[in-house]
Amino acid sequence: MTAFLRFEIIRSLRNVRFVVFIAGFPVLLYLIYAKQTGISQGLTVAAILMVSMAVWSGMGSAMFATGPQLAKERQSGWMRQLRVSPISAPRWFAAKLAQGLLLIIPGFVLLILLGFGYGHVHLAADRVAVLAAVLVGGVIPFCVLGLVIGLVFDGQTAQVAQMLTMLVLAFLGGIFIPYSNLPPAMQDIGKALPSYHLVQLGWNAVAGRALGVQHMLALAAWAVVLGLIAVWRWRQESTTA
Amino acid sequence: MITNKQGATGPAVAFRDVVKVYHPDIKALDHVSFDIQPGETVALLGPNGAGKSTAIDTMLGLRTPTSGEVRILGGTAAAAVAAGQIGGMLQTSGLPEGARVAELIGLFRQLYRDRRSTGELLMLAGIDDLADRRVEQLSAGQTQRVRFALALAGHPELLFLDEPTAALDVAARRHFWQSVETIARQGTTVLFATHYLEEADANATRIIVVNYGRVIADGTPARIKAFTATRTLRFAMPAPDPSELLKLPGVTDVLVNGDAVTARTGDADETLPALYALGRKVRAMEVGGGGLEEALIALTSADNGSNTERVS
Repeated sequence: MTAFLRFEIIRSLRNVRFVVFIAGFPVLLYLIYAKQTGISQGLTVAAILMVSMAVWSGMGSAMFATGPQLAKERQSGWMRQLRVSPISAPRWFAAKLAQGLLLIIPGFVLLILLGFGYGHVHLAADRVAVLAAVLVGGVIPFCVLGLVIGLVFDGQTAQVAQMLTMLVLAFLGGIFIPYSNLPPAMQDIGKALPSYHLVQLGWNAVAGRALGVQHMLALAAWAVVLGLIAVWRWRQESTTA
Repeated sequence: MITNKQGATGPAVAFRDVVKVYHPDIKALDHVSFDIQPGETVALLGPNGAGKSTAIDTMLGLRTPTSGEVRILGGTAAAAVAAGQIGGMLQTSGLPEGARVAELIGLFRQLYRDRRSTGELLMLAGIDDLADRRVEQLSAGQTQRVRFALALAGHPELLFLDEPTAALDVAARRHFWQSVETIARQGTTVLFATHYLEEADANATRIIVVNYGRVIADGTPARIKAFTATRTLRFAMPAPDPSELLKLPGVTDVLVNGDAVTARTGDADETLPALYALGRKVRAMEVGGGGLEEALIALTSADNGSNTERVS
């Protein structure tokens, strides 16, 4: 499985579109907006944005391995080739999940460095560690969301589906614009989304507040529901063979 | 009988009365049975849509038969795949973007316990010069050769190749079949699908001809080739007598339906003069000729008539 994981990570990092998406885009946004002054709930704009962009990057990385990449592999027949090799389906899924989790590292490290160096965010090492832990655990539902996209869409449309899903999650979840600026009806929708709960956990971690069990439970619930959808789709596809 | 690694004796592939229905009206496999013994190199020959890929996918465990039994190396296909005992080159399979050929081969080697060396794989597939190439830069033929290397990575006991030379040029094709021969000599059982009779004839020790999901012939290349020399004569004559027509030189089968006659002959040059020499009013003569398509029509024509009298 480690051989497989290494192989997948190397080729993902060669994907220019993916790297721009997880690193280029959030870095650019950070450079543009982090210099704004202001404090909200005890956090500077630079700190808030550092978390937002790290969450955006993490969501994208987590969804990529299981989403557009998987859709392409299903379509090209590569997955069939893997199915006649000794790697078992559970091990292969585990590798995909691990790939999604490991790929959040580059974006996370980049944004922490940027936050410290460019945004003058001062954060104790233990809070950085909590933020990292929050991200690793919190992106799991997004890995599973990617899986649903990868199993439902084909190679071309999965890319678009992931992009649109992420934009909706980011806007309504309060990652791109301050949450209070959203109309109340949208706030209600947004509060149900996993992106909202993940970014709240992130801000709480940085501010040194209690993380909030309700956010963790919501993320876990999303992971379970999406996981059931993915399993259903997978079964549906393999039984029609 | 050759003993395989599991210590069991028996056929490498046992395909018993297998039916695969995709759609109530379409039987991709219609009660197909054959055994493949260890060490054989077998061609599955038939036109597009005959059921070759369905048969191979079923042997690889990618599809589940609607009914019937499939045993691979004495167990299930899934068990053979999990144990790394079989290699498969599927008809269409892209390679994952962003990988280099050498990385891909390295990955596949690590998935198997018993593995060929990278050098041997590059040589067998004829891709030494492509090792550092990224897969998205490969041509269709090069991709096909890389997929061949992947299928061989685990030293399979049983190798399935689904139309393996479709994208290859003449030189690459020759190299490919030389490699298959090398592997077969090392003891690997090979089953390949093709719609070229010449390819089956040149490279297999046995040919199984399939059409409309059924096995319509199974034998040595020499025997199958004899079918292709067959010509089908269609003509009309008053009150045709099947037993008289069967006595004509070369004639193997006769179908009579009113005035219409369909006769198969292994030697049309002998049959035709003898037929006209009977002195009967033979009209509307049509001679169906060689080529695989024709041969397949000849092989399957016996299945067509339900209300015709058949004598052979």
